Amino acid sequence: MTQQFGDAVNAKVIMMIGANSAVANPIGFKHFLQAKDRNGTKLIVVDPIYTRSAAKADLYLRIRSGTDIAFVYGMLHIIFKNGWEDKEFIETRSYAMDQIRAEAAKWTPELTSDVTGIPVDQIIQATTLFAKNTPSAIAWSLGITQHSVGSSNTRILPILQIALGNMGKKGGGLYIIRGHDNVQGATDMGNLADTLSGYYGLDDNAWKYFATSWGVDYEWLKGRFFEKKWMNEKGYSLAKWYQGVLQEEKTYSSAPIRAVWIQGTGITSMSQQAKIKEALDKVDLVVIAEPFVNEAAVLTSRKDNIYILPVGTQFESEGTVTATNRSAQWRSKVVEPLYESKSDEEVMFAFAKKFGFYDQFVQGMKMDVKDGKVVQVKNDFKWPDDAVREIARTIKSIGLSGWTPERLRSHQENWHMFDPVTLEGKGPMKGQYYGLPWPCWDDKHPGSPILYRRDVPVAEGGMGFRNRFGLEHNGVSQLADKSVTVAGSKIEGGYPQLTKENIEKVLGITLTEAEKAQMGGSWAMDFSGLIQQKAREAGVCVYGNAKARTIVWEFPDPVPLHREPIHSPRWDLVQKFPTYDDQPKNFRVETKFKSEQQKQDWSKEFPIMLVSMRVVNLSGAGMLERTSKYLSAITPEMFANIHPDLALKHGIRDRDMMWIHAPHGTKIKVKAYHNHSVTADRICLPYNFAGVFQGADLSANYPEGTKPYAIGESSNTITNYGFDVITQISEFNAGLCRVEKA
Amino acid sequence: MRKYIYLIIGALCLASAVYANESQIWGEMRIQNILGYGQEESWKLGPLFTMLQSQYFAWIFLGVLLGVPAVFFMHYKIVGPKVFPHSEKKYYAFNLYNRIIHQVAAVSFLVIVPTGFIIVFGDFFGGGTLVRMAKNLHGIFTIPFTIVVIPMALMWLKEALFNLDDVKWFLILGGYLSKEKQIIHASQFNAGQKMWYWVAILGGITMIFSGAFMFFLDFKMEMLHNLTGMSQIDLLRAAAILHNVMGFAVVALFITHVYMSMFAIKGAVHSIITGYVEEEEVKFLHNKWYKKLKDQGKF
Amino acid sequence: MSNEMARMKFYCDDHRCIECFACSVACAEAHELPTGISRRKVITLHDGVEGKEVSTSIACMHCTDAPCEQVCPVDCFYIREDGIVLHDKDKCIGCGYCLYACPFGAPQFPRDGAFGHKGAMDKCTMCAGGPLETNSEKERHLYGQNRIAEGKVPMCAAVCSTNALLVGDAESVSNIYRKRVAGRGQRS
Repeated sequence: MTQQFGDAVNAKVIMMIGANSAVANPIGFKHFLQAKDRNGTKLIVVDPIYTRSAAKADLYLRIRSGTDIAFVYGMLHIIFKNGWEDKEFIETRSYAMDQIRAEAAKWTPELTSDVTGIPVDQIIQATTLFAKNTPSAIAWSLGITQHSVGSSNTRILPILQIALGNMGKKGGGLYIIRGHDNVQGATDMGNLADTLSGYYGLDDNAWKYFATSWGVDYEWLKGRFFEKKWMNEKGYSLAKWYQGVLQEEKTYSSAPIRAVWIQGTGITSMSQQAKIKEALDKVDLVVIAEPFVNEAAVLTSRKDNIYILPVGTQFESEGTVTATNRSAQWRSKVVEPLYESKSDEEVMFAFAKKFGFYDQFVQGMKMDVKDGKVVQVKNDFKWPDDAVREIARTIKSIGLSGWTPERLRSHQENWHMFDPVTLEGKGPMKGQYYGLPWPCWDDKHPGSPILYRRDVPVAEGGMGFRNRFGLEHNGVSQLADKSVTVAGSKIEGGYPQLTKENIEKVLGITLTEAEKAQMGGSWAMDFSGLIQQKAREAGVCVYGNAKARTIVWEFPDPVPLHREPIHSPRWDLVQKFPTYDDQPKNFRVETKFKSEQQKQDWSKEFPIMLVSMRVVNLSGAGMLERTSKYLSAITPEMFANIHPDLALKHGIRDRDMMWIHAPHGTKIKVKAYHNHSVTADRICLPYNFAGVFQGADLSANYPEGTKPYAIGESSNTITNYGFDVITQISEFNAGLCRVEKA
Repeated sequence: MRKYIYLIIGALCLASAVYANESQIWGEMRIQNILGYGQEESWKLGPLFTMLQSQYFAWIFLGVLLGVPAVFFMHYKIVGPKVFPHSEKKYYAFNLYNRIIHQVAAVSFLVIVPTGFIIVFGDFFGGGTLVRMAKNLHGIFTIPFTIVVIPMALMWLKEALFNLDDVKWFLILGGYLSKEKQIIHASQFNAGQKMWYWVAILGGITMIFSGAFMFFLDFKMEMLHNLTGMSQIDLLRAAAILHNVMGFAVVALFITHVYMSMFAIKGAVHSIITGYVEEEEVKFLHNKWYKKLKDQGKF
Repeated sequence: MSNEMARMKFYCDDHRCIECFACSVACAEAHELPTGISRRKVITLHDGVEGKEVSTSIACMHCTDAPCEQVCPVDCFYIREDGIVLHDKDKCIGCGYCLYACPFGAPQFPRDGAFGHKGAMDKCTMCAGGPLETNSEKERHLYGQNRIAEGKVPMCAAVCSTNALLVGDAESVSNIYRKRVAGRGQRS
């Protein structure tokens, strides 16, 4: 998220697309409603279903799921045609917009309407409202990311904001709304298969950098892998890990996966539930370390070699979490872990001890920077303070250097000293933003509530775009134009990211020998902090001041292209806008695209669009909330929203049970709720249930006394096959199905 | 029939609309943002019920409770009871079955009516345990009545049908305003008894249903809902209004029934206990029946 | 400010209410209500109908001339000086008349034992307890928390995620609402 929620009040228009924060993030949605009330902000909601958020919109567009790129090109077409774009911004701060313009030229309102299902006049109306009332902001969420074209989706929306000059401004930007507590933090910490913490990637430089910070030998780290090459390879993603067990699709690994350790994640909230079940049944060992019985334990029919370790909740642990606006918040321990449960870190420490790497595991917390070098400074560590210090010392890529435990604690203890809308501190907290939204470059930096603002000095949270992709491409400079000077900067216009090599030249300074000896190779790997120190003195941002690229030359689609979902209701459009070629390898497994999409006209047998949603009282697989009788009472059973016309065509009355069949042969039995939020061509179902699998009640699988108040089929049992070409996230939102009275 | 139902409901709505317009609570000022609780497209009987219950029901019940006995007290003092010799010939008119059915109903009424009054004047009794118990007894004793109401209806149905003689009976009010023993042309049941029959049976059934509605609150009546288009809460309100209004009639006639059998016609109550009716009584008060029995040689 | 004691009121701004259920769940949790008793209900009318869907939260509105108080046959209601409408559960007989009179469906009746028999009525107290000794064990048991006595905001309004549910003296509540309505008009 480039903004913080409070900034919504400065937007003249907010467009929510693929986000239903009234249900998924009510507190965030409050800010949009507040903006309406305080500033007359108009709200546009683009969604396949008429959501609770849509009910509050000034303009609602019913889009066919999986056609967001087409829709945004339709908007861009109108914008470029009428000259509503911010020409100066495009010229000075972006790269390759002409290629976007060329693609947008194809997307006339008529074609856009045909593909997206939104009437022409509504496309024009929304575009006019959004483009002519800047600053305008976009909010998106999982409805954008969870698609086979999710990575292109997440690019086309920022492109729209760049075209309108809405980036780096109050009231503009992007609200990328996280769905759960600390999702941002978990991602920042690299709880992913393709990168170390802080998005450092997996190359040797990154490993060596982390080895230094952790105080462990790089060779030792290397020795933990079966072969050196796996060290630099992505692991299995959560979306397709089961193929590592089942190996039905081609996998790349030294051996099949034989044990699964599940801690702090609902693996049943992923698609292909039937495959997950098979894999859980097949592995040698399943360990689940959770405060509540993870539904994975219930889904599997295994009787042996499955362990459930009780882990404390957030109230029984201390540390930081990161909110969706990049702010950190210190969280205090309210009680010691109850009964026999242990906190997450205790479990991990015990694990490390058992497997003989405890000393290396905790070594990083005993280290600190002395004279520019990381050295051991003590023989013991204090949890969680030293872990937070380790993070601050190491993660420079996104600017966590300023997140010291002392500062974060003082923010938490002094809530009353911060403005709830602007996040600005008052009194003793003056000059800091609440939670120090990253990047927070050093321990004097106030945090950056809005990214890419050049009207604010770097030391006060300003910056240009990051120079991440080289100095030039196809002979065009990637640095920002001469006219794009960040306030207070010594350097006029754009400049590259700082390295030991270029710092003297870029900043026009001379380093002493001692400084040279201490300084790391680049700003992101400089333990000494000298690069940041010099940059601060020059009013410069360490990561440079570059142009935003609108094309990604490493991706299959350098220019984002509309591609029909794998299972599309429009066979005619599948021919015109086919998906990608099959992927021989992403993460560690092959993935089908075109071969699956074009195997047959799926829409003949499965004519109904399948859209997933969330209910406000349940999160994830709902294993936590469904143990509350009050929350369960709100949605006591799994259901699907179905339009009365569609339901009655199949003889399904309101509250009848029905079967929903998916193209890959799975089915679920759920209650049909007649509802007008869906049209007769689609059904919509929550993904927050578990405990019933393809009609079979799994109640008996719950350990005694742990069965939740409400159980039901998981929609993920029928979520169609399909994964993003880059991130491999499952295609949760655009699929097909057929219904039948049960 | 449907026409009349609509007429009545229409009148009720009109009354509630008039009331609603004047009230702060029900008017536009207060319920700005709440259509509330399935009330859309329903009858909105709440204001009507509130008005009736807060201002009229208890007073009317008090009127019935005091007024009807007062009238009969005057009657007893001025006109006096009718006394018939109880030594003459008797006719076995009510068999054991008739009597058991009647007695069950009688006992039920003897509990239901007083407990009903305790509820109506609940504030007088201070609420709490006593009134709560009355409420529960009120409900529990509905069960025996429910069991016997249909058999009772069937066993006396033929005798309870109105005919032309009843008009004459009404014109002279059954001769009860006269001290003289007149020959009254009536069948086994006179018009007054027939009236009681219908109120007790139809009114009783109405009371059972409306009472059940109120007792269970979430009693689902799909059919009524579909027929009237009323929401659950309005059905409940209608039930409460009906229960009270019908209550006036049932209570008034119940008191009359008791007075007639116990006081107005000395000893008449024995006939439903023993089953035998006195020849004299039949001759004077149910002359048509008397003639019929005579012809059949029953006396 | 007039000399008159402020009258406490609830107001749910349906431009803000998103049916998140926080108010009703927090209420049930705070007062440890049995499931099925909703002192506060969240409802959505015209669910899914474009342009017509409205969500709102309903509980006892603590009416000035409360109809429940007027119809109660045992007179168990009383209205506090600050306008909060409360009732005495020891007096209540569970007859349901208050429910018939209430425009909001606020009174709730727990199923108390066999034969569908209903116990004493339960309703929103605006977190102000009942006629028993303030903060006594018995008050807590029968009426739930008495947050008003502790100077706290009623639970429901305290947790409202979008500040849709307003509570306070009638004047301040309507001032807030008026400001919002004016703000909405700015760009239309």
